[in-house]
Amino acid sequence: MKKIFLSIILFTVAVSAINAESLTQLEGSFKTGPAIILIGTLLTFVLVGVFFKAKDPADYYAAGRKISRVGSGMAIASNWMSAASVLGMAGMMYGFGYNGLAYVVGWTGGYVLLLILMAAQIRRYGKYTAPDFIGDRYYSRDLRIVSAIFTILISFAYCVGQFGGIGLMFKWILGLNYTWAVIIGSSVVLMYTLISGMIGATKNMQIQYVIIVTSFLLPVFLMAFKFDYFWLVPQLGYGAVVTDIVQGIPAPNIVSDVPLVNAYGHDFAIVPSPEFAMPWDPSTGTTFFQWVAICFSLMVGTAGLPHVIQRFYVVPKVSDARWSVVWGLFFICLVYWTAPAYAAFGKILSANPEVGTLAKDAIVVYTAQLGNINSLVVGLLAAGAVSAAFSTVSGLLVAGASAFSHDLYVRVINPSSTPKSQLTVARIGTIIMALAVTIVALLKLGLIAQLVSVAFSMAACTIFPLFLLGIWWSGSNRAGAKAGLFTGILITTISITYFIVGLSGGKLPGQEFISYWLNIWYFAWIGAPLAIIVNIIVSLFTAPTPPEIKKFLAEQVHN
Amino acid sequence: MELTDQYNFSIFRPRNKHGRKNRNVILTMLAIWALAVFGFQLLLRVTEKPTPEPALAEFDKTWPLFLSGSSNNDEKALLLKSLILVAGKTIVKPDDLRTLKGAVTAVTFSMMPDSVTEGIKRMTSEAAEMRAQLASLRGEQYILLSNRVKDIYSNISGILEDYTGIRKGSLESVILAHSLTAETPVPDNISFNNLPGIMKLYLTHNRSELTDTVFLGFPFHYFYTAVFLLVLFVGLCIAYNILIEWRLKKEGITE
Repeated sequence: MKKIFLSIILFTVAVSAINAESLTQLEGSFKTGPAIILIGTLLTFVLVGVFFKAKDPADYYAAGRKISRVGSGMAIASNWMSAASVLGMAGMMYGFGYNGLAYVVGWTGGYVLLLILMAAQIRRYGKYTAPDFIGDRYYSRDLRIVSAIFTILISFAYCVGQFGGIGLMFKWILGLNYTWAVIIGSSVVLMYTLISGMIGATKNMQIQYVIIVTSFLLPVFLMAFKFDYFWLVPQLGYGAVVTDIVQGIPAPNIVSDVPLVNAYGHDFAIVPSPEFAMPWDPSTGTTFFQWVAICFSLMVGTAGLPHVIQRFYVVPKVSDARWSVVWGLFFICLVYWTAPAYAAFGKILSANPEVGTLAKDAIVVYTAQLGNINSLVVGLLAAGAVSAAFSTVSGLLVAGASAFSHDLYVRVINPSSTPKSQLTVARIGTIIMALAVTIVALLKLGLIAQLVSVAFSMAACTIFPLFLLGIWWSGSNRAGAKAGLFTGILITTISITYFIVGLSGGKLPGQEFISYWLNIWYFAWIGAPLAIIVNIIVSLFTAPTPPEIKKFLAEQVHN
Repeated sequence: MELTDQYNFSIFRPRNKHGRKNRNVILTMLAIWALAVFGFQLLLRVTEKPTPEPALAEFDKTWPLFLSGSSNNDEKALLLKSLILVAGKTIVKPDDLRTLKGAVTAVTFSMMPDSVTEGIKRMTSEAAEMRAQLASLRGEQYILLSNRVKDIYSNISGILEDYTGIRKGSLESVILAHSLTAETPVPDNISFNNLPGIMKLYLTHNRSELTDTVFLGFPFHYFYTAVFLLVLFVGLCIAYNILIEWRLKKEGITE
């Protein structure tokens, strides 16, 4: 196995080196070296999927509970870091400055909530999926069905956002149009997800993480060195870049008789731009409330995402569930500490008007190009971004397929199904979901970039309250859960409806008010607390939780 | 005690000593987490003051003089610099940029004779046409045409240096050259009514001690949010795990 991988890597590097070309254009034309790196990377993923094929449902759903805590941590990090994290976050900071940091903090701070409120308890509860837990805890078939549906919807919304990133990178590397880029990308990720399920996906995610972090960190080291910043730890070195952006850098910029220039020969210079770093700058159009609301929604959504929660079933011991969160967060932070550096360097490297307006979502790759980084390294970076999207999509497809086959098919439609038929249904569910996601992604509705944040807010309003109260309050009962879930769904529906109406030029009553206070990116700031409060109030006035469930919670889940 | 009541619990009312200690750890962690994240942002909000860049004061002083036609060349040069500083920001919205470019063009052309202005307009049009063609070109053709565009703008910068005092080769000269339009807006054009608001929007920032203090090269608030908070999150998670496992061991509880 190792020999095969080594052969692929050596072949890829050799052929790429032969075909390396300088990147004179930012936009998508066929780039041979990066294309070969991408194909080599994808081939590796498929082979891993083939060699670690799932044999039965336990293998498919929860990796047979054989994965170590570090391995699970890497898988969590890889699963977590999607195209939105690797590409989109730097884009947010590039375009909106300090406001983009709400995403950095939101997408990491949620792991603290996950750890102290849920990780060990979920593992002790001993179920395979989020709908499994909800259905059992709240002794309700209806809640299982609804939560399974929402797991699928959340995974769906999240996936559609990723396909935008895949399309962008395939377009950049291969010079394809968006349609073919998305079709090819979805075919590959579907192939190895079908074959391997959770085991293959988890092993793959560990490899993907290594590719992501290496490809993401290397260009920043090179740029920090090249432009005379503290390159040993560029995650700290870029601080001087931010200060330089605020104060401005005059041209020409010459250090030790060497002019600092970008790939086009423009000076590494910028007019004073404090709006990049100052909080909720008026020119960015965002406010203090929006920063806080986005951060809160993303944090709470993180702790409610079914495909993240599901990660805790794959470790053998409860303590492994806790430590895998720590490792996962650390591995995630390696990338999240670095992403702002791309935005900062990109800001200066693209300051010259001759560069033109750049697409924010691709700023990571553009920055590396403009920094005149070797084309192979840039190609590796693009491949890493694709890896990030693939790892997340595979996890989401598994979560969605699990919800369909395990929670809907086995528990509701056909309880007497055999393991073989369960696996078949899981794979059919995966195919249907992937096809549907591809179709929506191809439509380019204009909502794709926002769908990732919508997924977070949906999870925060629906799944998170059920888990939080289900674990930490024995009094939360079926009626309360249903009422809370209904509240979360209502808020979600209102926000999405107003957003779509606004996008199409229409106007509903209170359009501006709702568009600001219940914006689709952060409606969970009110949706989650409301769902929790309603759950509590209704539970207090309805039939109590059955004693056997309380006993199980007290003795098994909480020691 | 009835069976139904025996196992009642919540995070605020745990059943036993282990639960109480666990609750204390959780609530303490949550408090640190909330204070560190949202408390700091609130502190930023409370201490900040809208602070204009120096260029705004220069603009406010010289723009009315230009509109009234009573500004001299030095004042026009100051005005031009303040406009260029905003036009050069990558965050400017397209509509605002159009207004800014119009103002830059009006001020620049008022500083030179008509014969020079006509020449600049011709070169600007030529460059704009070539830039429009760039999107469809690849490889060598792209490089050739983009070099020609660069040369045109370089020539424009060279000519403008004599009249505006903006040094050729500086970033400001590049911004100036790219901001010129082929039409000359009339200084009392109605679209310039928005200009003072545009300048104020892009030249005023929320600043305080927390943003102006530099720490490890960063503006302090930026370091806190982008670096420190992530370190804190990892630290909280490690501390929690260590505490919990120590407690489980001490109380002899096997998971």
